[in-house]
Amino acid sequence: MLLRLSALMVSCAFVAFAPASRAQGAGGSGDPLVEARETNTWLTRINEAANKRNFQGTVVVSAGGTVASSRIAHFCEGRNQYERIDSLEGQMRNVLRQNDLVHTVWPQSRVAMVEQRDGMSSFPGLLQAGAQHVAEFYELKPMGVERVAGHEANVLQLRAKDAHRFGYRLWAEKTTGLLLRTEVLGEHAEVLESSAFSDVSINVKPQVELVTQPLRKLDGYRIVRPPVTATQLEAEGWTLKHDIPGFTMVSCVKRPFDGALRVRGAADPVLQAVYSDGLTFVSIFIEPFNAERHQRAMSTVIGATQTMMRRQGDFWVTVMGDVPTATLRAFAAGLERRK
Amino acid sequence: MSQSSESSASMENLSALVDGELESEAGARACGQWRDDAQARATWHAYALIGDVLRSGDLASTAERDCSFLLRLREQLAQEPVVLAPAELAAPLLAPLPAVAAAGGSRRAWRTPVAVAAGFMVVAGALVVTSVPGSLPFGSTPTVAQAGPAPVVAAAPGLQAVSTTQAETAPVRLNGQLIRDARLDEYLSVHKKFGGSSAPGVPSGFLRNAAAEAPAR
Repeated sequence: MLLRLSALMVSCAFVAFAPASRAQGAGGSGDPLVEARETNTWLTRINEAANKRNFQGTVVVSAGGTVASSRIAHFCEGRNQYERIDSLEGQMRNVLRQNDLVHTVWPQSRVAMVEQRDGMSSFPGLLQAGAQHVAEFYELKPMGVERVAGHEANVLQLRAKDAHRFGYRLWAEKTTGLLLRTEVLGEHAEVLESSAFSDVSINVKPQVELVTQPLRKLDGYRIVRPPVTATQLEAEGWTLKHDIPGFTMVSCVKRPFDGALRVRGAADPVLQAVYSDGLTFVSIFIEPFNAERHQRAMSTVIGATQTMMRRQGDFWVTVMGDVPTATLRAFAAGLERRK
Repeated sequence: MSQSSESSASMENLSALVDGELESEAGARACGQWRDDAQARATWHAYALIGDVLRSGDLASTAERDCSFLLRLREQLAQEPVVLAPAELAAPLLAPLPAVAAAGGSRRAWRTPVAVAAGFMVVAGALVVTSVPGSLPFGSTPTVAQAGPAPVVAAAPGLQAVSTTQAETAPVRLNGQLIRDARLDEYLSVHKKFGGSSAPGVPSGFLRNAAAEAPAR
């Protein structure tokens, strides 16, 4: 499907760029202030469309040789947001979101997990890191109009200005700005990961009961509520010695790992600090070292997501994010125990 | 009796084989025993069934169900017209159609064990792959050998590369390896959920982690 899509992309590339509403980019106007404003306008528009539009469709994510698809419905009624994501592969699993309250339901094993979403799981992560900084680290260039999943879309190229992050190609629906397709690009502009709607209906009539109804049928389910507590890196005895250009901390929490997702006896909670540059996120996980669980330092790649795990003193540190390995290494190297 | 204690020990070996906990030599012994001993094959089937049921109740079935399915399938196959038969042979072929079914019946005796053996070999093959990071695999695969120090902690489905950071080399691509590390899955699911992913349209990272498992009950 994606292959066919990309063939389609090539065939209709270089179609004249038609400006859409006020969010139009001149691309290379030369004035950094103008460029920054345009970048912000585009990204804010994409962000708002994802939150405020009513849409229903199927998203296919292709990363590292595997493909996963999910059925998605998103509705907005007044100030309330409703979202439902059904995974179409593997074990049956529904994610039901009502504003910040997220239920993950596994119908077969009759388990439901209830979590509070801290409003930071959106892409781009503008709200957390501040849109105004994105233009310092990414150069946005409108590339024309292409058709994705039956909709006309503006193609936007986000080139990373330094080696600390990956580039992106985004397809935003012309009239609404809804993101229809994204590609994460490596340093040689190779596609590391790609996700796209294979079909989508935009501005559908909200069917809130798609989300609310299953939540009323949780009788007999085991309800899991993993406790998450906010904290600070410094309060936990850690500090990040040097800044990684563009990245600011957007969240720091302690959450249980074992026990929340699997019952494996009580385990120490894991400290998670999240950094964002306005588009992408890096998580640092810190937990007490456990010789049984933490056997060897390693680094892995899944699509665009890089992971680095290693021992640091009495602790085990895992750094993870859609950034080059060198950035993860910089994070890991900057992490220092202060106690 | 020594006979029974010996067989119970070997059943334990089979169980360990199912769990992927058997060393190379013992694994080979257990495989040999499976080949020679009908009782061992029955036990193997029972263990596999237990594993299936643990994964999903839908997989629970008696051996008879598979058997009757196979019989029905053979009957249907026997009734299918032979499309690719040469024209001059068409006439003689028409008559012996029932004979084909009969032949299928007589061959059942050896077909089933072969099918089971094939299934067994698939499991043994998977065992080779997953045990590579450990000390003594049945055999070695060249891809993994490149990784130098073998990664002990392995990967989620779709994991592309595994390497040790001590070496600080470029990650080695191990495409399509189905080695699971539940722990890495957990980090991923937390990072994607609360740290975001770059999937379109949806302000959440629930998408990619389709493999995320249900918590134990």
